[in-house]
Amino acid sequence: MGVKKFIDSVIEFLNLDSFKMLSKKKSIKNLLRQLRNRRAKIYRKLKENADNSKKKKELLEELEIIAIQIKKGKKILDDLDA
Amino acid sequence: MFKKIFLPTILTVVAYGFWISPDFKAISAGVAIFLFGMLSLEEGFKMFSGGMLENILKKSTSNLYKSIAFGTITTTFMQSSSLVSILTISFLSAGLIGLSQGIGIIFGANIGTTTGAWLVAGFGLKVDIQVYAMPMIVFGIILIFQKTKSLKGIGYILAGLGFLFLGIHYMKEGFEAFKNNIDLANFAISGYKGLFIFTGIGIFATVVMQSSHATLVLIITALAAGQITYENALALAIGANIGTTITAIIGSIGSNIQGKRLAGAHLIFNAVTGFIAIIFIYQLVYIVDFISTLVAIEKDDYALKLAVFHTIFNLIGVIVMLPLVNKLVSFLEKILKDKDLQAEEEFVTPNFLNESVLEFPSTSISAITNETLHLYDNAFDIIANALNIKTADITSSMDLKDVTAKPYGKRPLNIDNLYNHKIKNLYGEILDFSTKAQAHMPPQYIEKLYKLKLANRNIVEAVKNMKHLQKNLLKYSNSTNIHIKNQYNSIRKDLAELLRDVNSIAKTDKEDETILLLSKAKIHAQKYDITANGILDNLIREHFITNEMATSLMNDSTYAYNIRKSLIAMSEILFIDDNNDAKEMHQDMVINEDDIQHILEKKGA
Repeated sequence: MGVKKFIDSVIEFLNLDSFKMLSKKKSIKNLLRQLRNRRAKIYRKLKENADNSKKKKELLEELEIIAIQIKKGKKILDDLDA
Repeated sequence: MFKKIFLPTILTVVAYGFWISPDFKAISAGVAIFLFGMLSLEEGFKMFSGGMLENILKKSTSNLYKSIAFGTITTTFMQSSSLVSILTISFLSAGLIGLSQGIGIIFGANIGTTTGAWLVAGFGLKVDIQVYAMPMIVFGIILIFQKTKSLKGIGYILAGLGFLFLGIHYMKEGFEAFKNNIDLANFAISGYKGLFIFTGIGIFATVVMQSSHATLVLIITALAAGQITYENALALAIGANIGTTITAIIGSIGSNIQGKRLAGAHLIFNAVTGFIAIIFIYQLVYIVDFISTLVAIEKDDYALKLAVFHTIFNLIGVIVMLPLVNKLVSFLEKILKDKDLQAEEEFVTPNFLNESVLEFPSTSISAITNETLHLYDNAFDIIANALNIKTADITSSMDLKDVTAKPYGKRPLNIDNLYNHKIKNLYGEILDFSTKAQAHMPPQYIEKLYKLKLANRNIVEAVKNMKHLQKNLLKYSNSTNIHIKNQYNSIRKDLAELLRDVNSIAKTDKEDETILLLSKAKIHAQKYDITANGILDNLIREHFITNEMATSLMNDSTYAYNIRKSLIAMSEILFIDDNNDAKEMHQDMVINEDDIQHILEKKGA
């Protein structure tokens, strides 16, 4: 038996694939939490900078990016769950 | 130490002078008003720099003789060789003129400054200039309060001239009154001993007042009042000429090596001229007498004779030094070596590539990653410098508008040289090490290694594109055509913003921030490309730029776009947390082309 085959069989026997999956899911969930926190912070900043159009524009752009990233993150999470 | 005691000593001496003599007060007030006038005059001329002055400078300094004429004329008009020398240093630092042209302007400024002596001796002492001073100050001050920049500039110039005249008037009055109490002529020292002592006093007085003009006016008024002897006045004038170089020396402290060389040239020129004048003082006095007789200057009109002397000895200095300009340039380049250039000549060697780790794939990957970061640091410095922005300004929180608003200057960076010494060599070493390491790597490391190689290539590509871009960036960032100038400064600002984002990505340990900044950088790169194309079309359609400019801008926008693309691609490889299990997924979360298109369409870019 080759080394690779041996490692694969150990992974299968110990069910380490799901462990790897769990770790990835945890990582994505963590990232999504950070993104949501950032989104909340941006909303607060938007209120503070209501009169500053330049800053407002920047913050709105960040919000759009974060919205896309959260959407992508959720999709990745769904795929991992499926 | 000297700096600490200098000011209190001067203040104490002046205060003591006020206490013992009211006439000294009048003379000092005259000098102070005169100096204030000069400051105001300088301020006025600065208002006109930034356009007209630069245009004239560029056209008028194409060769050494034109430079001398330019220096003479501008100093005659501005009545400040210091201002002309400071401006010359700034233009030299900006790479607009060469060192020999700069030296030419300084030579000219030395001739131009002699007109001040003529004005004071011929006009200031014979006419009641106070009559002209008052209205000039009043009109000047009214204009200073106007909002229009040109009117403000004229106001400063008028007020400046008014204060100069008023200062001369006070000095004149002070010396006249002083004469009745103390006769300074009693302290006159004859022969070479006196010559050297009074030259030293002249140097000292000019260093303190930072103006040879002020010293000269003081000398002429004192001479006219009979307070100093003619011989000592000549020595004082020689000293003033040497002392005036202090302004250029101070001005060059903040400048680059070219500015320092010019200040050195100024000092050498004035010191040599002064030395010649001292050695041949009796022959010069004879020539002055001869010329004075020719132009009908009265025998006892020592003030005008001093003006003649001042002109002649500066002219002789120029004539003697003119054939030696090239040698002077070589000498200064040899003595004042460019530290940046020396650093550019040194080959950068790898910091992390150690062949003993080649057999350990994970350690090899770490070594290559660290060396790639080293390569990136070098590239960052080169690109920032080529944009003529300090690396520290990019990594600071300073507004980028202010960072890039500083005029494009400095000696053009030799990117070819830097590329060979700081990039190519290191890149070669990384590739060599990677090839050797690859032989010991199992398949799961190969992809990582491939990506690192890609990141290295991106860094090299970014520097190469910067090399192409730099040529026109230097040319057009100082263009008189405001449209092309704005476009190139916009490229600078945009790339500076990208460098700042990349630096933040490199520094942060927050995953969400990394992804957000990378996404932003991608959007901005695309947005800039679209906007730049739109602006370019408009500039061509409206004939705001020439065909040559349009071609350059089109090519350079592509180079700038490639730099952005390369740096973003490198960041995606290097700065997304490598130890994270979900690294690939994080890369998937950075927005793609479709997302960018979606966001830009929404914005209507």
